[in-house]
Amino acid sequence: MSDIPKADELFKSIDYNPPTTGWMETPVDFSPGHWCYPAKPEKIEYMDSKLPGLWGPAREWLPSNDDWKLPPNWKEIVVNGFRERLKKFRTLQVYMDICVRCGACADKCHYFIGSGDPKNMPVLRAELMRSVYRGEFTLAGKILGNLTGSRVMEEDVLKEWFIYFYQCTQCRRCSLYCPYGIDTAEMTMMARELMHLVGLNTNWIMEPVANCNITGNHLGIQPHAFKDIVDFMVDDIEEVTGRKVKAPLNEHGHEILFITPSGDVFADPGIYTFMGYLLLFDYLDLDYTLSTYASEGGNFGSFTNNEVMKKLNAKMYAEAERLGCKWILGGECGHMWRVVHQYMDTMNGENQWSGMTTPKSPITGTVFETSAATKMLHITEFTSDLIKHNKLKLDPSRNDHLRVTFHDSCNPARGMGLLEEPRYVLKHVCNNYFEMPEGTTREQTFCCAGGAGLNTDEIMEIRLRGGLPRGNALRYVQEKHGVNLMACICAIDRATLIPLADYWAPGVGISGVHELVANALVLEEGEVRTMDMRQEPLPGFEDEDDDWTPPNMEDA
Amino acid sequence: MTFDTVLAEQKARLAKGWAELILRTYPKETQKVWTRQRDRFQNPVGAAILEATGDLMNLVIDWKDAKEIAASLDRLIRIRAVQDFSPSQAIGFVFLLKKLIRDEFFKAMEKDGTLADLLRFEARIDNLALMSFDIYTKSRDEVFRLRVEEVKRSQSNLLKRAGMILDVTADQSAD
Ligand code: SF4
Ligand code: SF4
Repeated sequence: MSDIPKADELFKSIDYNPPTTGWMETPVDFSPGHWCYPAKPEKIEYMDSKLPGLWGPAREWLPSNDDWKLPPNWKEIVVNGFRERLKKFRTLQVYMDICVRCGACADKCHYFIGSGDPKNMPVLRAELMRSVYRGEFTLAGKILGNLTGSRVMEEDVLKEWFIYFYQCTQCRRCSLYCPYGIDTAEMTMMARELMHLVGLNTNWIMEPVANCNITGNHLGIQPHAFKDIVDFMVDDIEEVTGRKVKAPLNEHGHEILFITPSGDVFADPGIYTFMGYLLLFDYLDLDYTLSTYASEGGNFGSFTNNEVMKKLNAKMYAEAERLGCKWILGGECGHMWRVVHQYMDTMNGENQWSGMTTPKSPITGTVFETSAATKMLHITEFTSDLIKHNKLKLDPSRNDHLRVTFHDSCNPARGMGLLEEPRYVLKHVCNNYFEMPEGTTREQTFCCAGGAGLNTDEIMEIRLRGGLPRGNALRYVQEKHGVNLMACICAIDRATLIPLADYWAPGVGISGVHELVANALVLEEGEVRTMDMRQEPLPGFEDEDDDWTPPNMEDA
Repeated sequence: MTFDTVLAEQKARLAKGWAELILRTYPKETQKVWTRQRDRFQNPVGAAILEATGDLMNLVIDWKDAKEIAASLDRLIRIRAVQDFSPSQAIGFVFLLKKLIRDEFFKAMEKDGTLADLLRFEARIDNLALMSFDIYTKSRDEVFRLRVEEVKRSQSNLLKRAGMILDVTADQSAD
C-alpha cells in the first residue's frame, strides 16, 4: 500500500502552483514510464566484442534505482569524450558557441508542445549539454559558474541527460526555425554517444543493433525463417490477386538490390507495403533480388554512435558486391534515408564495388543523377517516374473506400527533401486525397514521436503526448474531410502512428504508400479484384463472405 | 435574475479566467509560450484549454447535454492523462472552476442570502468531476490497451509463422 499517497500528500498535490525553481534546478522524475528499459547485458557484451571500447560496463541496472552502476571514472570518460568530439566534429563546437538563446526554437518541438515540460524546449534540451560545455571547457564558466548558467558534470546532470536526450527523436524540426541552423538532433546524437561510453543505453535500440549485426535484421531472424515469412506473403498476394509473384532472395547476378526495413516483413501493417513492392516488381519483371543479410534498411546504429552506424550501413554495399548488383533500390524507410542521404557517402563511399552504377530505371530509362553518389534510389522516386512515363496501369477507384492524407516522415522530408514524389504517387493511386493543415506537413511536419529509438511501449505516454501535434492535425482532416487513412513512407511510422491515431484521431488507419499502389495496380486488362491487400472486401464486394451466421444466432 | 443568468452574462470572462487557472498548472516558461502562440495547430494544448473551457462554461450553465459535456471534458482529459500529472492533478482542473466561482461570487451571495444558488451550481461542478474521473480512467485504459496491441502487432508475422495465430474464417471453420 505504500504506493498510495497519504491524504495530506494528496492535499498538497492539489496545489496547482508549478515548481518555482528555475528549470535547471527542477528535479527530474525517474519513476517508470519516464525512460526506456536499459539494454540487456548480453547485448552489450556482444557489441563490445565487435566494437570494443564504446559501451561501458555490461550490467543490469535500472534508472529508477539511485545507483546506476556507472564505472568509477565515468566523469573522466564523459568529459574526455566530450572534449574529443568537440575537436572531431566541428559542428558540435559551433553549436555549443553560437546559440544566442533567441527562443525561436522553443515551441517547435513536438515533445514540448505536447508535454509543456520546458526541458523539452530544444534550446533548453541543448542547454543541458551546453551548460556542461561552459562549466567544463570555458574560462568564464569555470570562474563564474552558475551566473553564466554553467555546471560541471555531476551524476545528476548525466542522469538528466539520459531522460531528456531520449525524449528527442532527432527529428530536426527545431533546426528548421533556428536562424543559425543549429541542429539539436546532432547534439542529441553526441550526448547519446557519450552516454554509451559509460554504459547508459536502451534495450529497444541495442537489441536491434546486435541483431542487425548478427543476422541483418532487427528481430534476429535467420535466413531460412526469413524466407518462410516472405513465402507467406507471396501466398497472401496470390490470395488477393491470383498472381504468384517472384520473391528472389540472396540471388546473384541481378541488376538491382532491394533493401527495405525489416519491420515491413514482420509487422502489421508494414507487411502490406512489402507485398506491394513484391507485386509491383513482379508486374514490371524487374531484375532484382532481396538480401537476408541486408534485410534491415533502417540503421539502429544511427541512434547510438558513429561507429555502429557506419558498420551497419556498410552491409548494404557489401551485399551489393557479394550479389553483384549494380545499384540499390531502397524501400519506404525513415532513418535509413537519413543515413543514406547525409552520411553514407562520407562513411562508406569508398566501399562501393567497381561494378556499381548510377541508378537507371530499366523500365523508363531515366537516370537518377541525384543518386549518383550513393547509388541508392528511393522507391517513391522510382515509382513516380514509372507513373510519369505511363508505365503502370492504375485503377485508383479500388482505393475509393479510403480517404487519404499523407504524413511526411521527418527523415525523408527534412533529412532528404523528399516531398513531392510520395504525393505524386498517392494522387495517382487514390481519388480521395487531402492535405493536413499548413505548418504541420512537408518541411514543417510534426514527428510521430517514436523515431530515434523511442518507439517502445514502456514510454507510451511520452510518445502519445509527443504525438499530440500530429494527432491534432490528423483529427482536423478527419473531421473536415472524413479522412480514414494516413499514409506514410517510414516503417517506424507505420508502427508508431497506429497508437497515435487510435488515441488522438480514433478511426484513422495507417498504411504505406506502396500498399495503396498495389491495390490500384491493374495486373492485366480487365482484372477484377474483390479485396484489398489486407484481404478486406472492396466496395461492391462486401457481401461475398457475409452469408455466415454464427451457429447460435440462427433463430434470432 | 437567476444565478444562471448572471453566469451567462459573464461567461466569456469566466471561461477565460478558468483557462488561465488551468494554464497555471504548467511551468512558468510554458505558460508564457502557450499564451503567446495562438495557432491551434502549433499549440494544441493551449487551444484545447481555451476551447474546452469556453464550451464547458456554456454547457454547464445550460446543463442539458451530458454527451456534449463529456466530449468537451474528453478533449482536455485525454491530453492531461498522458502528461506528467498524477491522476488528481490531471482532473483537478475541474475544481479550479469552483475556486474561480467562489472567489468571484461567494462574498456577495453570502451577503444577499443567495448562497443556496451558488451551492446548487457547485453541485454541477461536482458532477463534472465525477464524469472526469470516468473519462480519465477510460483514457488510461486506452493507453494500456495500445501498449498491448502494439507488442502483438510488431511481431504479427512471426506469430503467424509459429502457428500462434489462427486465421479462422467462416469457410475453414468446422461448424
Ligand atoms: S530534434 Fe526534434 S525532438 Fe529533438 S529537440 Fe529538435 S524538435 Fe525536439
Ligand atoms: S533558435 Fe537557434 S539560436 Fe535561437 S535559441 Fe534556438 S538554437 Fe539558440
